[in-house]
Amino acid sequence: MKTIILALLIVGCGGGDSPTPTETVCPSPDPQTVTYDNFGQTFMADYCTQCHASTLPRAQRNGAPLFHDFDDLIGIVQVANHIDEQAGVGPAASNHFMPPERCPETPGGPLAIDCPQPTDDERRQLAEWIACEPDRPHTF
Amino acid sequence: MVKLALALVMAPAVAMAEHQHGMVAGGAEEPGSSFAAGISLVAATYDTMEYGGEYQGIVPAARWSRGRFAAAASFGMYRLEKNGLRRYGAGDAMVHGQATIVRGHGLEGGVALAVSAPTGDRQEGLGMGHPMAMPAAYGRWRTSAGSVDASFGYGRAIGGESQHAGHGSGPLVDPMNFQELTFTTSGELVLARQLRTGARLSGAMPVGDGTTRVIGGVRVLWTEGRVDTAFEIQAGLAGDPFTVRGVVETALRF
Repeated sequence: MKTIILALLIVGCGGGDSPTPTETVCPSPDPQTVTYDNFGQTFMADYCTQCHASTLPRAQRNGAPLFHDFDDLIGIVQVANHIDEQAGVGPAASNHFMPPERCPETPGGPLAIDCPQPTDDERRQLAEWIACEPDRPHTF
Repeated sequence: MVKLALALVMAPAVAMAEHQHGMVAGGAEEPGSSFAAGISLVAATYDTMEYGGEYQGIVPAARWSRGRFAAAASFGMYRLEKNGLRRYGAGDAMVHGQATIVRGHGLEGGVALAVSAPTGDRQEGLGMGHPMAMPAAYGRWRTSAGSVDASFGYGRAIGGESQHAGHGSGPLVDPMNFQELTFTTSGELVLARQLRTGARLSGAMPVGDGTTRVIGGVRVLWTEGRVDTAFEIQAGLAGDPFTVRGVVETALRF
Protein backbone atom coordinates (compact mmCIF):
# COMPACT_ATOMS: atom_id res chain seq x y z
CA MET A 1 0.00 0.00 0.00
CA LYS A 2 2.78 2.43 0.91
CA THR A 3 4.49 1.59 -2.35
CA ILE A 4 1.36 2.28 -4.37
CA ILE A 5 0.73 5.62 -2.68
CA LEU A 6 4.36 6.62 -3.12
CA ALA A 7 4.21 5.68 -6.79
CA LEU A 8 1.05 7.74 -7.29
CA LEU A 9 2.60 10.76 -5.61
CA ILE A 10 5.70 10.45 -7.75
CA VAL A 11 3.54 10.27 -10.87
CA GLY A 12 1.54 13.22 -9.61
CA CYS A 13 4.43 15.45 -8.75
CA GLY A 14 6.10 14.68 -12.02
CA GLY A 15 3.12 15.77 -14.07
CA GLY A 16 3.40 18.11 -17.02
CA ASP A 17 2.97 21.87 -17.17
CA SER A 18 -0.32 23.39 -16.26
CA PRO A 19 -1.83 26.82 -16.98
CA THR A 20 0.00 29.35 -14.84
CA PRO A 21 -0.33 33.13 -14.42
CA THR A 22 2.53 34.85 -16.19
CA GLU A 23 2.67 37.56 -13.50
CA THR A 24 3.07 40.15 -16.22
CA VAL A 25 2.62 43.65 -14.81
CA CYS A 26 1.43 46.63 -16.80
CA PRO A 27 4.15 49.31 -16.80
CA SER A 28 3.36 52.43 -14.83
CA PRO A 29 2.38 54.74 -16.28
CA ASP A 30 0.58 52.63 -18.89
CA PRO A 31 2.53 53.26 -22.13
CA GLN A 32 -0.54 52.40 -24.28
CA THR A 33 1.80 50.71 -26.76
CA VAL A 34 -0.29 47.54 -27.05
CA THR A 35 -4.01 48.14 -27.38
CA TYR A 36 -7.15 46.37 -28.53
CA ASP A 37 -7.14 48.35 -31.75
CA ASN A 38 -3.49 47.87 -32.69
CA PHE A 39 -3.00 44.33 -31.35
CA GLY A 40 -5.76 42.57 -29.41
CA GLN A 41 -8.51 42.55 -32.00
CA THR A 42 -6.25 41.15 -34.71
CA PHE A 43 -4.67 38.62 -32.36
CA MET A 44 -8.06 37.29 -31.33
CA ALA A 45 -9.31 37.13 -34.90
CA ASP A 46 -6.19 35.31 -36.06
CA TYR A 47 -5.96 32.75 -33.26
CA CYS A 48 -9.11 32.54 -31.12
CA THR A 49 -12.50 33.47 -32.50
CA GLN A 50 -12.93 30.40 -34.68
CA CYS A 51 -14.16 28.80 -31.44
CA HIS A 52 -14.33 31.62 -28.86
CA ALA A 53 -17.15 33.61 -30.42
CA SER A 54 -20.40 34.77 -28.91
CA THR A 55 -22.18 33.82 -32.13
CA LEU A 56 -21.37 30.12 -31.74
CA PRO A 57 -23.83 27.82 -29.99
CA ARG A 58 -22.45 25.29 -27.52
CA ALA A 59 -22.39 22.37 -29.94
CA GLN A 60 -20.24 24.32 -32.43
CA ARG A 61 -17.63 25.68 -30.02
CA ASN A 62 -15.23 22.73 -30.34
CA GLY A 63 -14.76 22.62 -26.59
CA ALA A 64 -14.45 26.36 -25.94
CA PRO A 65 -16.19 27.16 -22.65
CA LEU A 66 -19.27 29.33 -22.58
CA PHE A 67 -18.72 32.95 -21.56
CA HIS A 68 -15.19 32.86 -23.00
CA ASP A 69 -15.99 34.90 -26.11
CA PHE A 70 -13.27 37.04 -27.63
CA ASP A 71 -15.07 38.71 -30.49
CA ASP A 72 -15.48 41.88 -28.49
CA LEU A 73 -13.44 43.66 -25.84
CA ILE A 74 -15.79 43.12 -22.93
CA GLY A 75 -15.67 39.35 -23.39
CA ILE A 76 -11.88 39.44 -23.30
CA VAL A 77 -11.61 41.65 -20.23
CA GLN A 78 -14.02 39.45 -18.29
CA VAL A 79 -11.70 36.43 -18.49
CA ALA A 80 -8.36 38.19 -18.93
CA ASN A 81 -6.67 36.03 -16.31
CA HIS A 82 -7.74 32.84 -18.09
CA ILE A 83 -6.33 34.11 -21.38
CA ASP A 84 -3.04 34.92 -19.66
CA GLU A 85 -2.85 31.43 -18.14
CA GLN A 86 -3.62 29.70 -21.41
CA ALA A 87 -1.69 31.68 -23.98
CA GLY A 88 0.50 34.32 -22.33
CA VAL A 89 4.27 34.39 -21.98
CA GLY A 90 5.78 36.41 -19.15
CA PRO A 91 8.25 36.40 -16.30
CA ALA A 92 6.60 33.56 -14.38
CA ALA A 93 5.31 31.26 -17.12
CA SER A 94 5.28 30.40 -20.80
CA ASN A 95 1.79 29.15 -21.56
CA HIS A 96 1.22 27.41 -24.86
CA PHE A 97 -2.04 25.63 -24.06
CA MET A 98 -3.99 27.70 -26.54
CA PRO A 99 -4.50 27.66 -29.44
CA PRO A 100 -4.77 23.85 -29.50
CA GLU A 101 -3.26 21.63 -32.19
CA ARG A 102 -6.33 21.40 -34.41
CA CYS A 103 -8.73 24.15 -35.42
CA PRO A 104 -11.82 24.59 -37.59
CA GLU A 105 -11.32 26.11 -41.00
CA THR A 106 -14.45 28.20 -40.53
CA PRO A 107 -16.04 29.29 -37.24
CA GLY A 108 -17.93 26.38 -35.70
CA GLY A 109 -16.72 23.89 -38.29
CA PRO A 110 -14.98 20.56 -37.76
CA LEU A 111 -11.35 20.45 -36.61
CA ALA A 112 -9.89 20.31 -40.10
CA ILE A 113 -6.60 22.23 -40.01
CA ASP A 114 -3.54 22.75 -37.84
CA CYS A 115 -4.09 25.83 -35.73
CA PRO A 116 -1.93 28.83 -36.59
CA GLN A 117 0.27 29.49 -33.57
CA PRO A 118 1.35 32.90 -32.28
CA THR A 119 5.05 33.52 -31.78
CA ASP A 120 6.42 33.88 -28.26
CA ASP A 121 6.83 37.58 -28.92
CA GLU A 122 3.14 37.81 -29.76
CA ARG A 123 2.35 35.89 -26.58
CA ARG A 124 4.42 38.38 -24.58
CA GLN A 125 2.51 41.24 -26.15
CA LEU A 126 -0.72 39.42 -25.33
CA ALA A 127 0.26 39.10 -21.68
CA GLU A 128 1.21 42.76 -21.49
CA TRP A 129 -1.98 43.89 -23.19
CA ILE A 130 -4.08 41.64 -20.93
CA ALA A 131 -2.29 43.10 -17.91
CA CYS A 132 -3.01 46.68 -18.99
CA GLU A 133 -6.42 46.54 -20.62
CA PRO A 134 -8.66 45.92 -17.57
CA ASP A 135 -7.51 49.18 -15.95
CA ARG A 136 -8.01 51.31 -19.01
CA PRO A 137 -11.16 53.44 -19.37
CA HIS A 138 -14.02 51.65 -21.13
CA THR A 139 -17.54 52.58 -22.01
CA PHE A 140 -19.02 49.20 -21.05
CA MET B 1 -21.55 -12.99 6.05
CA VAL B 2 -22.59 -13.01 2.43
CA LYS B 3 -24.21 -9.62 2.88
CA LEU B 4 -21.09 -8.22 4.45
CA ALA B 5 -18.92 -9.55 1.69
CA LEU B 6 -21.29 -8.15 -0.91
CA ALA B 7 -21.25 -4.74 0.67
CA LEU B 8 -17.50 -4.69 0.90
CA VAL B 9 -16.94 -5.84 -2.63
CA MET B 10 -19.47 -3.60 -4.29
CA ALA B 11 -18.40 -0.39 -2.67
CA PRO B 12 -15.07 0.34 -4.34
CA ALA B 13 -15.86 0.89 -7.97
CA VAL B 14 -18.74 3.33 -7.70
CA ALA B 15 -17.14 5.11 -4.81
CA MET B 16 -13.79 5.48 -6.44
CA ALA B 17 -15.24 6.48 -9.76
CA GLU B 18 -16.46 9.71 -8.24
CA HIS B 19 -13.97 10.71 -5.59
CA GLN B 20 -16.12 9.68 -2.69
CA HIS B 21 -14.03 9.98 0.38
CA GLY B 22 -15.87 7.87 2.87
CA MET B 23 -16.00 4.18 3.48
CA VAL B 24 -14.84 2.37 0.40
CA ALA B 25 -14.15 -1.06 1.75
CA GLY B 26 -14.27 -2.50 5.19
CA GLY B 27 -12.21 -5.17 6.79
CA ALA B 28 -13.59 -8.62 6.20
CA GLU B 29 -14.52 -10.65 9.22
CA GLU B 30 -12.51 -13.68 8.19
CA PRO B 31 -8.87 -13.66 9.30
CA GLY B 32 -7.32 -14.38 5.90
CA SER B 33 -6.87 -12.10 2.96
CA SER B 34 -9.64 -11.66 0.43
CA PHE B 35 -9.51 -10.14 -3.01
CA ALA B 36 -11.99 -8.80 -5.49
CA ALA B 37 -11.74 -7.35 -8.96
CA GLY B 38 -14.49 -5.38 -10.57
CA ILE B 39 -15.40 -3.07 -13.38
CA SER B 40 -17.83 -0.19 -13.58
CA LEU B 41 -19.48 1.33 -16.61
CA VAL B 42 -20.47 4.95 -16.16
CA ALA B 43 -22.60 7.15 -18.39
CA ALA B 44 -23.69 10.70 -17.61
CA THR B 45 -25.01 13.91 -19.02
CA TYR B 46 -23.94 17.22 -17.57
CA ASP B 47 -24.73 20.90 -17.97
CA THR B 48 -22.47 23.26 -16.07
CA MET B 49 -22.11 27.01 -16.40
CA GLU B 50 -19.31 26.69 -18.96
CA TYR B 51 -19.70 23.22 -20.44
CA GLY B 52 -22.41 20.86 -21.51
CA GLY B 53 -22.28 17.37 -22.92
CA GLU B 54 -21.95 13.78 -21.83
CA TYR B 55 -19.37 11.23 -20.89
CA GLN B 56 -18.99 7.50 -20.67
CA GLY B 57 -16.38 5.70 -18.65
CA ILE B 58 -15.02 2.30 -17.84
CA VAL B 59 -13.45 2.01 -14.40
CA PRO B 60 -11.58 -1.17 -13.42
CA ALA B 61 -11.06 -1.57 -9.70
CA ALA B 62 -9.31 -4.06 -7.42
CA ARG B 63 -9.64 -4.58 -3.73
CA TRP B 64 -7.86 -6.41 -0.95
CA SER B 65 -8.84 -6.83 2.68
CA ARG B 66 -7.49 -8.64 5.70
CA GLY B 67 -8.98 -8.36 9.15
CA ARG B 68 -9.46 -4.72 10.00
CA PHE B 69 -7.60 -3.45 6.99
CA ALA B 70 -8.60 -2.93 3.40
CA ALA B 71 -7.16 -1.31 0.31
CA ALA B 72 -8.49 -0.62 -3.15
CA ALA B 73 -7.36 0.95 -6.40
CA SER B 74 -9.17 2.17 -9.49
CA PHE B 75 -8.36 3.83 -12.78
CA GLY B 76 -10.97 5.13 -15.19
CA MET B 77 -10.90 5.63 -18.94
CA TYR B 78 -13.39 8.05 -20.45
CA ARG B 79 -14.99 9.30 -23.60
CA LEU B 80 -15.90 12.92 -22.93
CA GLU B 81 -17.95 15.25 -25.07
CA LYS B 82 -17.87 18.92 -24.05
CA ASN B 83 -19.30 21.81 -26.03
CA GLY B 84 -19.11 19.82 -29.25
CA LEU B 85 -15.57 18.50 -28.74
CA ARG B 86 -14.98 14.78 -28.27
CA ARG B 87 -12.03 13.51 -26.26
CA TYR B 88 -10.81 10.12 -25.03
CA GLY B 89 -8.49 9.68 -22.09
CA ALA B 90 -7.68 8.45 -18.63
CA GLY B 91 -9.08 9.94 -15.46
CA ASP B 92 -7.14 10.29 -12.24
CA ALA B 93 -5.88 7.04 -10.72
CA MET B 94 -6.81 6.46 -7.13
CA VAL B 95 -5.79 4.23 -4.24
CA HIS B 96 -7.59 3.90 -0.95
CA GLY B 97 -6.58 2.45 2.39
CA GLN B 98 -8.80 1.86 5.36
CA ALA B 99 -8.63 0.62 8.92
CA THR B 100 -11.54 -0.38 11.11
CA ILE B 101 -10.95 0.94 14.61
CA VAL B 102 -14.06 -0.14 16.49
CA ARG B 103 -16.39 -3.04 15.75
CA GLY B 104 -19.14 -4.79 17.67
CA HIS B 105 -22.89 -5.10 18.22
CA GLY B 106 -23.54 -4.32 14.57
CA LEU B 107 -21.57 -1.11 14.74
CA GLU B 108 -18.35 -0.40 12.96
CA GLY B 109 -16.17 2.69 12.65
CA GLY B 110 -12.83 3.55 11.21
CA VAL B 111 -10.62 5.85 9.25
CA ALA B 112 -9.65 5.94 5.60
CA LEU B 113 -7.25 7.71 3.33
CA ALA B 114 -7.66 8.03 -0.43
CA VAL B 115 -4.92 9.42 -2.63
CA SER B 116 -5.27 10.21 -6.31
CA ALA B 117 -2.63 10.86 -8.93
CA PRO B 118 -3.22 13.37 -11.75
CA THR B 119 -3.14 10.89 -14.59
CA GLY B 120 -6.14 12.64 -16.15
CA ASP B 121 -5.67 15.68 -18.37
CA ARG B 122 -6.90 18.74 -16.47
CA GLN B 123 -7.05 20.85 -19.60
CA GLU B 124 -9.46 18.37 -21.17
CA GLY B 125 -11.64 18.05 -18.07
CA LEU B 126 -10.47 14.54 -17.22
CA GLY B 127 -8.35 15.19 -14.14
CA MET B 128 -7.61 17.50 -11.25
CA GLY B 129 -4.12 18.34 -12.44
CA HIS B 130 -2.68 17.65 -8.99
CA PRO B 131 -2.42 14.77 -6.54
CA MET B 132 -5.27 14.72 -4.05
CA ALA B 133 -5.28 13.52 -0.46
CA MET B 134 -8.62 12.64 1.06
CA PRO B 135 -8.72 11.44 4.67
CA ALA B 136 -12.09 10.46 6.12
CA ALA B 137 -13.80 8.85 9.08
CA TYR B 138 -16.71 6.46 8.64
CA GLY B 139 -19.29 4.57 10.59
CA ARG B 140 -21.72 1.76 9.84
CA TRP B 141 -24.67 0.22 11.62
CA ARG B 142 -25.80 -3.13 10.31
CA THR B 143 -28.70 -5.43 11.12
CA SER B 144 -30.16 -8.47 9.41
CA ALA B 145 -32.57 -6.18 7.59
CA GLY B 146 -30.04 -3.78 6.17
CA SER B 147 -27.40 -1.23 6.97
CA VAL B 148 -26.79 2.49 7.38
CA ASP B 149 -23.47 4.13 6.54
CA ALA B 150 -22.11 7.60 7.05
CA SER B 151 -18.78 9.23 6.47
CA PHE B 152 -17.23 12.63 6.80
CA GLY B 153 -13.99 13.64 5.19
CA TYR B 154 -11.70 16.28 3.84
CA GLY B 155 -10.08 16.51 0.43
CA ARG B 156 -7.29 18.73 -0.74
CA ALA B 157 -5.15 19.09 -3.83
CA ILE B 158 -1.43 19.01 -3.20
CA GLY B 159 0.17 22.06 -4.81
CA GLY B 160 -0.94 24.48 -7.52
CA GLU B 161 -3.41 26.47 -5.44
CA SER B 162 -3.05 29.64 -7.55
CA GLN B 163 -4.00 27.75 -10.68
CA HIS B 164 -7.37 26.85 -9.22
CA ALA B 165 -8.35 30.30 -7.98
CA GLY B 166 -11.68 31.22 -9.54
CA HIS B 167 -11.76 28.17 -11.78
CA GLY B 168 -14.59 26.36 -10.03
CA SER B 169 -14.82 22.62 -9.65
CA GLY B 170 -12.33 20.17 -11.07
CA PRO B 171 -12.72 17.49 -13.71
CA LEU B 172 -15.96 17.24 -15.65
CA VAL B 173 -15.92 13.46 -15.20
CA ASP B 174 -15.43 13.76 -11.45
CA PRO B 175 -16.03 17.27 -10.08
CA MET B 176 -14.07 18.20 -7.00
CA ASN B 177 -12.95 21.42 -5.38
CA PHE B 178 -9.34 22.29 -4.66
CA GLN B 179 -10.13 21.94 -0.98
CA GLU B 180 -13.40 20.64 0.43
CA LEU B 181 -15.29 18.89 3.19
CA THR B 182 -17.17 15.81 2.09
CA PHE B 183 -19.98 13.66 3.40
CA THR B 184 -21.76 10.48 2.39
CA THR B 185 -24.81 8.86 3.92
CA SER B 186 -26.38 5.70 2.60
CA GLY B 187 -28.82 3.02 3.56
CA GLU B 188 -29.48 -0.45 2.22
CA LEU B 189 -32.38 -2.80 2.69
CA VAL B 190 -32.22 -6.56 2.23
CA LEU B 191 -35.07 -7.61 -0.08
CA ALA B 192 -34.11 -11.24 -0.49
CA ARG B 193 -31.13 -13.46 0.19
CA GLN B 194 -29.40 -12.29 -2.99
CA LEU B 195 -31.07 -8.96 -3.56
CA ARG B 196 -30.77 -5.60 -1.88
CA THR B 197 -31.78 -2.04 -2.62
CA GLY B 198 -30.44 1.20 -1.29
CA ALA B 199 -30.21 4.95 -1.52
CA ARG B 200 -27.56 7.46 -0.73
CA LEU B 201 -26.80 11.13 -0.51
CA SER B 202 -23.30 12.49 -0.86
CA GLY B 203 -21.75 15.84 -1.37
CA ALA B 204 -19.04 18.34 -0.69
CA MET B 205 -18.67 21.90 0.52
CA PRO B 206 -15.67 23.90 -0.66
CA VAL B 207 -13.19 25.34 1.78
CA GLY B 208 -12.54 28.72 0.18
CA ASP B 209 -13.46 29.17 -3.47
CA GLY B 210 -15.49 26.46 -5.13
CA THR B 211 -18.87 24.91 -5.61
CA THR B 212 -21.07 23.00 -3.22
CA ARG B 213 -22.33 19.81 -4.80
CA VAL B 214 -24.85 17.21 -3.71
CA ILE B 215 -25.57 13.88 -5.37
CA GLY B 216 -28.49 11.56 -4.71
CA GLY B 217 -28.75 8.00 -5.90
CA VAL B 218 -30.76 4.81 -5.69
CA ARG B 219 -29.37 1.39 -6.38
CA VAL B 220 -30.18 -2.28 -6.72
CA LEU B 221 -27.59 -4.95 -5.89
CA TRP B 222 -27.70 -8.65 -6.41
CA THR B 223 -25.26 -11.53 -6.06
CA GLU B 224 -24.85 -14.79 -7.92
CA GLY B 225 -22.15 -17.07 -6.62
CA ARG B 226 -18.94 -15.05 -6.44
CA VAL B 227 -20.20 -12.36 -8.77
CA ASP B 228 -21.81 -9.24 -7.38
CA THR B 229 -23.60 -6.78 -9.63
CA ALA B 230 -25.20 -3.43 -8.99
CA PHE B 231 -27.02 -0.74 -10.89
CA GLU B 232 -27.22 2.78 -9.58
CA ILE B 233 -28.96 5.82 -10.99
CA GLN B 234 -27.78 9.16 -9.68
CA ALA B 235 -28.90 12.76 -9.97
CA GLY B 236 -26.93 15.92 -9.39
CA LEU B 237 -29.03 17.78 -6.81
CA ALA B 238 -26.78 20.82 -6.34
CA GLY B 239 -23.66 22.25 -7.90
CA ASP B 240 -24.06 20.69 -11.37
CA PRO B 241 -21.76 17.68 -10.88
CA PHE B 242 -23.87 16.05 -13.60
CA THR B 243 -27.51 15.98 -14.58
CA VAL B 244 -28.12 12.23 -14.51
CA ARG B 245 -25.61 9.44 -14.22
CA GLY B 246 -25.98 5.69 -14.44
CA VAL B 247 -23.47 3.22 -13.07
CA VAL B 248 -23.39 -0.50 -13.70
CA GLU B 249 -20.75 -2.43 -11.85
CA THR B 250 -19.85 -6.03 -11.42
CA ALA B 251 -17.19 -7.62 -9.26
CA LEU B 252 -15.73 -11.07 -8.78
CA ARG B 253 -14.68 -12.20 -5.32
CA PHE B 254 -11.85 -14.69 -5.02
